[in-house]
Amino acid sequence: MTMTELHALLPIIVIAGISVVLMVMTAFFRHQRLASLITYGGFIAAAVLVAGQTGSGPQQATPLLIMDEYSRFFSLVILVTSLAATMLAYDYLRRSDVFKEEYYILLSLAVLGAVVLVSSNHFAAFFIGIELMSVSLFAMVGYMVQGRTRRAVTLEASVKYMILSGVSSSFLLFGIALVYADFGVLSFSGLHSLLGLHSTSSYSQIGAAMIVVGLAFKLSWVPFHMWTPDVYEGAPVPVTAFLATVSKVSVFAIIVRFFIESGAFRLEALVQALVWIAVLSMLVGNGLALLQQNIKRLLAYSSIAHLGYLMVAFIAIAGSNLANTNLAVEATAFYLVAYIVMSLIAFGIITTLSSPERAEEAETLAHFRGLFWQKPGLATAMGLALLSLAGIPLTIGFVGKFYVFAAGVAGQLWLLVGVLIVGSALGLYYYLRLIMEMCKAPDTEPAISREETPLENRVVLSALGLVLLVIGIFPNGLITTVHAAVAVLR
Amino acid sequence: MSYGASLITHLWPLVLFLVLVIGLISLMLAGPYFLGSRRNARATGEPYECGIVPVGSAQYHVPIPFYLFAIFFVIFDLEAVFLFAWAVAVRETGWAGFIEALVFIVILLVALLYLWRLGALDWRTFRQKRDRASVLLR
Repeated sequence: MTMTELHALLPIIVIAGISVVLMVMTAFFRHQRLASLITYGGFIAAAVLVAGQTGSGPQQATPLLIMDEYSRFFSLVILVTSLAATMLAYDYLRRSDVFKEEYYILLSLAVLGAVVLVSSNHFAAFFIGIELMSVSLFAMVGYMVQGRTRRAVTLEASVKYMILSGVSSSFLLFGIALVYADFGVLSFSGLHSLLGLHSTSSYSQIGAAMIVVGLAFKLSWVPFHMWTPDVYEGAPVPVTAFLATVSKVSVFAIIVRFFIESGAFRLEALVQALVWIAVLSMLVGNGLALLQQNIKRLLAYSSIAHLGYLMVAFIAIAGSNLANTNLAVEATAFYLVAYIVMSLIAFGIITTLSSPERAEEAETLAHFRGLFWQKPGLATAMGLALLSLAGIPLTIGFVGKFYVFAAGVAGQLWLLVGVLIVGSALGLYYYLRLIMEMCKAPDTEPAISREETPLENRVVLSALGLVLLVIGIFPNGLITTVHAAVAVLR
Repeated sequence: MSYGASLITHLWPLVLFLVLVIGLISLMLAGPYFLGSRRNARATGEPYECGIVPVGSAQYHVPIPFYLFAIFFVIFDLEAVFLFAWAVAVRETGWAGFIEALVFIVILLVALLYLWRLGALDWRTFRQKRDRASVLLR
């Protein structure tokens, strides 16, 4: 390993260092504030290192990892998101009756997995990254199992997530094995001259399909979405916030890279299957969210629908026109950022309103009734996030959806664009219903605590709300960044 | 001879063997059902023919920290497996390989340290620990 490679890997080494340092610290001296500060510091240091390398050209560090503009952009997005998610979790954890420091160890390991995942261009690193992230997430989903209040729910969610994640990983691994059996190549770029042009064998086609199935579980695309509402509901909210943003976005980022670099878009049957998965995701996600009373489940179904919207842009990459495919890749990356901002605000609000001492988190409609009259700041942020999720203009969600729509139209995917419109119309109903609920007169007995919102949560939520509005009104800055980031993928 | 026919010639002893095994096992399992006598006396259900009469139920928790076994297995045993892979290439990898192996071992040592401090090496039950603590306090 040369010094330049080491320099390129430095952010990953820093993130790995956080968990080791925290483990030593926890062994001798338990202190949640210190553990959280070490985690924040580590994430900021890694983000600064990644940002410092931006513009220095692609750097292949060992055959496994590539540090180019695309992986740097998504590493930066993941690190900033994780920082925000960790800060939102602080107060919730402080009030819980379980070990607190281990949360930061697990979280930094999951972030390490996500960063390795988005930087991989080789099946080995790809699998290591996805497993490192999933295995840490099993423990995080079941984190409150030692506590008194939510033991059964959290255990159920954790076991469901573990089993389904294990099944999906075996699909993924078997798919990789089949592709390897056919071509003897594990790097994405090595497959580019082989996959889809090799008409004699069906091994690689089945292999690619199994890889897609494995990733579809992680992304909860529709026939593989069953675990999502249960796990979102059962996991502690700060973990749900992390799961819904970082794990989804990193897997989506890598599936885009994998499909472009390995030439998997040439497998026409697979692309046809993806079209139907997208249609189902948009319809089923929005349809099941319509009558949902539980906010966490509602957001789970809405996240299924949003991943369906993302697939419209993803499938548009398959087209033959270079300008259109560039537009489609840009749309995916932009929508991923928008999705992170909106979801993080929504789950951040639920985290702020919930307290781990109670068996039920602030997840029913009753918790949100009259929120505008009790906590106007939080209600405004929640309202903005919901409007953005619905795709109302002046928010980041509108620009993202417009981008996806433009990519779909340019790729002439009329079926998908039609379903996108129907899905958005359905979505408007349940997002606005929640806003209506927040505007109603409060009950005499408010379901939420009247405590002061902690400073950390207020800072993070206002920052995210500001990002949501500023990018919604002036999207040019982010568009330029995304444009530069995705240019390397061809 | 076709491929399928040659497959059958090669495989028929295996199929016969499988059928015989299944037949023998079924015979052994079904035999006692017809041959054995069934009686339900007072002492039929007791585990020992003679000796101490059992007391209490067998349905209680035995405190074996299974998952800790798994973690220690990973730390001590798989570490050796990975180090073997490095050992065969120790000259080729040079100092860089040595440093990488060192990082690997140090991380596992930290994990062991953490487990030790957490009390994972103390395999007494919760009650035993509590009783011991109260004895010391007295």
